This record gives sequence, structure tokens and C-alpha cells, in this order.
Amino acid sequence: MRKVVISVLGTDRPGIVAAVSRILGENHCNIENATQTILQTEFAAIFIARMPKDLETDDLLSRLRRGLKSLGLHAFLKSMETLPDFPSPPESEPFVITTTGPDRQGLISGITEIMARFRANITNLKALYRKNTDSTERTTVIIYEVDVPVQIDHQAFRQALRDRADDLGLDLSIQHRDIFEAIHRV
Amino acid sequence: MLSDREVLSTLEMLKNEHLDVRTVTLGISLLDCASHELDRFKNQIHRKITLLAKELVRVCDEVGDKYGIPVVNKRISVSPIAVAGAVFSSAQMIEVARTLDEAAKEVGVDFIGGFTALVEKGFAKGDLSLIEALPEALSVTERVCASINVASTRAGINMNAVRLMGQTIKTAAEYTAEADGLACAKLCVFSNIPQDIPFMAGAYLGIGEPDAVINVGVSGPGVVKKAIERARESRPGLDLGQISEIIKRTAFKVTRVGELIGREVAQRLSVPFGVADLSLAPTPHVGDSVGEIFQSLGLASIGVPGSTAVLALLNDAVKKGGAFASSFVGGLSGAFIPVSEDLNISEAARRGLLSLEKLEALTSVCSVGLDMVALPGDIAPETIAAIIADEMAIGVINRKTTATRLIPVPGKKAGERAHFGGLLGSATIIPVRDEESSRDFIRLGGRIPAPTQSLIN
Repeated sequence: MRKVVISVLGTDRPGIVAAVSRILGENHCNIENATQTILQTEFAAIFIARMPKDLETDDLLSRLRRGLKSLGLHAFLKSMETLPDFPSPPESEPFVITTTGPDRQGLISGITEIMARFRANITNLKALYRKNTDSTERTTVIIYEVDVPVQIDHQAFRQALRDRADDLGLDLSIQHRDIFEAIHRV
Repeated sequence: MLSDREVLSTLEMLKNEHLDVRTVTLGISLLDCASHELDRFKNQIHRKITLLAKELVRVCDEVGDKYGIPVVNKRISVSPIAVAGAVFSSAQMIEVARTLDEAAKEVGVDFIGGFTALVEKGFAKGDLSLIEALPEALSVTERVCASINVASTRAGINMNAVRLMGQTIKTAAEYTAEADGLACAKLCVFSNIPQDIPFMAGAYLGIGEPDAVINVGVSGPGVVKKAIERARESRPGLDLGQISEIIKRTAFKVTRVGELIGREVAQRLSVPFGVADLSLAPTPHVGDSVGEIFQSLGLASIGVPGSTAVLALLNDAVKKGGAFASSFVGGLSGAFIPVSEDLNISEAARRGLLSLEKLEALTSVCSVGLDMVALPGDIAPETIAAIIADEMAIGVINRKTTATRLIPVPGKKAGERAHFGGLLGSATIIPVRDEESSRDFIRLGGRIPAPTQSLIN
């Protein structure tokens, strides 16, 4: 059984998901997972699909590109690899880390570098830009959902994040995800 | 995935609206420490408290860190000392209070409650010893808090106890005259005291409770006020029914936070979780005031006509929201109106908008009662007792908890200011129509009988 990962990028418009799924259907590919998002005016989606035995990945990619060209979309495809030796992720707890501050370059790389150093895995990331009402400056709010390994030194992790946030001129908060669930979800 | 709105509104509640867990209280039963020998009793209660509570502060801080929500106060409540130490004399009770104080200091908690006697139907030996010890016990200790239950709907009002408390409060104030009668800020007189209270100054661990238990007191007047203001700004046509719904939802959120944190603290300390007490309890900080909620609902100040209706709405909405958030709600849930501890209420009293009489009316619908009310220093003990009796009557007839925390400020008159420091705040002394007008009534003594529970009007 072969699976492929297909990503589609382009300017958002109605009919993109319909077009992609029609082409996959015509080629007897079954979509198993899909996610999409829209950032500003740009559309991005990732599909995981199961392919029939007699279909080559190059053929599928060229049919996708041909079919999506008229919509101005870019398609990419890779075979999904199974890595039997891939180590299982360490036991971790879900945290939400939020930074708020003036927009500038290097905010995400600065913070995520610390997360990577402590082997904290980002499961979701969203950056929101908001224009301040009293100035022309833009504030950026970046929300990271992160699985933090239980075994690490949490104090050191927090301190390293706070120090980096200070350097970047950001307000940073770290909270266990349960608090958001408790407040907002019954 | 969490939505942006869920994340951002939580951060807003935390940062700008003073969302916190007000108190985690470790309840410790001292009944198994009972002994006829004072030294043995003292050693045993000291050992038990310090053993069970040694990790309390650290664990609360760690859990607060994990959730990004601070646990502001860590406290201890113990079994009523008048029961656990029933054999002791008043001089010995003072020694017990000192031991409690030392244990509290040792484990780093800011208050220890439970210097308590329950005398609604009459006095036992230990009760009288404890009450007699109160003035000195509360002035030589820093962190010990006391509560005396003098009335209940089922027993009526023990007017001998009421009279005794009038005198005791007066004496306790004189013992701490240089601190504006601070001892009285640590002493509550109750009617219908709940079986267990995790909130100071009335806190104690009830007789039906486990050996040790974690109770959590959540608060958030700032969160409620901001929620109302934000909603009214975006939807100017909101009526009181809709506003009540907003308060309810906010109380729900705040309570959920408290229970989550309380349960984790309990689990880490290997102690059962008890209840979440969902009270709107103010602090003397701007933006953390119950009084400000009255203004956000269109009243010029707490104390003006309309205040009792607003407080009734507020109290009920808080209870409804909290009751849905947690199956284990208890203590004194509702809205507190401690005069000195709330910047806005204290200001209303200073401006004369909030009289003693209006405060008393408010207590018929608030969480507890006449709380942190500064009175003139020359007030007669019988007048203090009469104020207590009035407040007890409201509780007894209406089957609710009421209490007084009255502070006759030595050497100061109505209109002057009393300072208690820290979270206890400061207040302008409220005028009282005194002239020993209640003396003969209070001296009658005896017990006002329990009211009938049918024929209600």
C-alpha cells in the first residue's frame, strides 16, 4: 500500500478543494487525511492519499499540475515514508506558549530555537498580526502549541524562553493547555 | 487546536483582569492530637501541621507556574480549637494560638484559621476558654484567625455569646490599639457558619471533614467587571437578564480554573480535594474591586439606592455559574463586601454614601456580612453586640450565613481613617448611632429562640 503526501498552494478562491479531490478521485486515490488553512489571501492544503498499485507518483503529480494550472495553483507531491526505526516521541505534556510584541524579523526563529534545544515539539503554530490603534506599529501575536517532554528541566526551559523573549522585546506566557480547555470547553 | 480567541481571551483575563486563584487552603484535622497535657497537645499539632503543610507553598507555586495562573495565598485551616483543645484554660489556649502561629510561619503560609468555637446553643468549657483567650491570642500572634458561631436557624441566637463577643471585640481592639485594633480584623462572628470554610478570616476545618483536605478559593471581581464592561460596550442594549448571563459565564470560567488547580495541588500533596469556593472577594488594588462592578452596572457608587438589587443579582449569578462549573462547591460562595479590603467600597464609606444601615441591608443578599467595618473607638461593647445581634438575626431568619468582622478603632472617631496594612487595607470609620442605646436590650441575655420554618414571609 502506497501513500502520498500532496500539498497545494495558491491564492485563495472558491473551488480549490473540489478541484484537487476531483483529480484524486479520477485517479482512484483515496484521501485519508486533509487539512487546509488560509493566511491573508493565500491558500495552503496538505492531503494524505492512498494510491492504486498501477499508478506512478510522477503521473499523479503531472495530472494534478495540469488540472490545477488554470486555477493558478502549485502542487507538490512526495511519497509517504515509513520509518520503522523512528524513535517514539518522549512522554510529553501539551503547553501553549504565546508571545506578543512589536513586529520584527526573527521572532519565530528566536523562540523556536529554544524549543528545539529542549526537544519541545511544535504541534500547531499561528502568527496573527494586529495593527495598534494608536500607532502605525504592528503587534504580532504568535501562538505555539507545544508538546514539552516531561523529563526536561522545566524551570530552565521557562527561563530560557523568558530570557529570549526579553531579548526580542516580547511578552511571553507559558501555560499548560488544560487551562484553556477548562475555561472554554464544557 | 485551540482557537485564537480562546487563547487570547484567557491571556486577557490573566493579565489585565486579575484572574488568579485567590487561595489554596490545606485543611488539617487536629482532633487526633487531643491530649490533656498542654505540651503534648502543642507538640502534636505543631508536628502534624508542619508535616502535612511543608510542601504546600512549593507545590502551589509549581502548579501556578504550570498553568500560568498564580495561587496568591496559601493558607491552613484546622479543626475548631475549642473542640480539639476543649480541656484547656484560657491561658493555655493562648499558648495553643502561639503554636499555631509558629507552625504557620514555619511552613510559610500567611494565615492559619480555626481558632474557632461553635456556641450557637450554649458554651462548653473549651468554648469559654477560647473566647476568653481571644484578645490576647489575636494580639500576640500574627497569622492566627478566629471565628465564633453564635447563632443558627435551628438553634436561634445565643445572646449571651453575642454580648460576650461585643466585649471581646472591644478588648481585642484595645490590645492592639497601636495597630488600629488589628486583632479584630482576624476575628469573625457568625450565624449559620458553614460546616467547613476555606476562606479567612472565618476559616476552619469542619468536623465531618477528612483528616486533611485541599480546598480552593477562587476569586475574580476584576474579571467580572471587565466582562460586563466589554459586553456593554459592544452591545449597548444589554438588559439585566443578559448581564446576569455574562456574569454567570464568567463565574463558570473562574471556577473551572480554580478547580483544575486545586485538584492538581491536592493530587501532588496526596490529599483529597474538597471544594471550590467561588467567591468574589476583592483586594485593596485598583481593578480588583467588587464595588467597581456596581459602577459598571450604572450606579454612581455602591451604597446608593439600587445597590441591594445589584448585589442580589451579582451574588446569584456567581453561584449559578460556579455551581455548573464544579460539582463540589462550598464554603461561602458569592460576593464579599469587606469595606477596608475593597478600594471602591472603602471610598463609598468615606464619602458617606455607604452607611452602617445600608451595609446591613446589603448583607441580607451578600455572601457573608458586615465585613471589615471600622467603628469609632469609644463605641460601647453593648452597641457592638447589638450590631452583631442584628446581623445574626438577618442570617437566622433568612437561613443564610451572615457574619461580622467589626473593628472598633481605639482612639479614633467617625470620619478618621484606620489602617490595617496589606490585604486588610484601610477604611474610614463609620458613624454609629450609639449613646448606649442598646445596653439594656443586650444585657437581657438568654437565647432568642429558633424561628419557625413554616409560615414564611
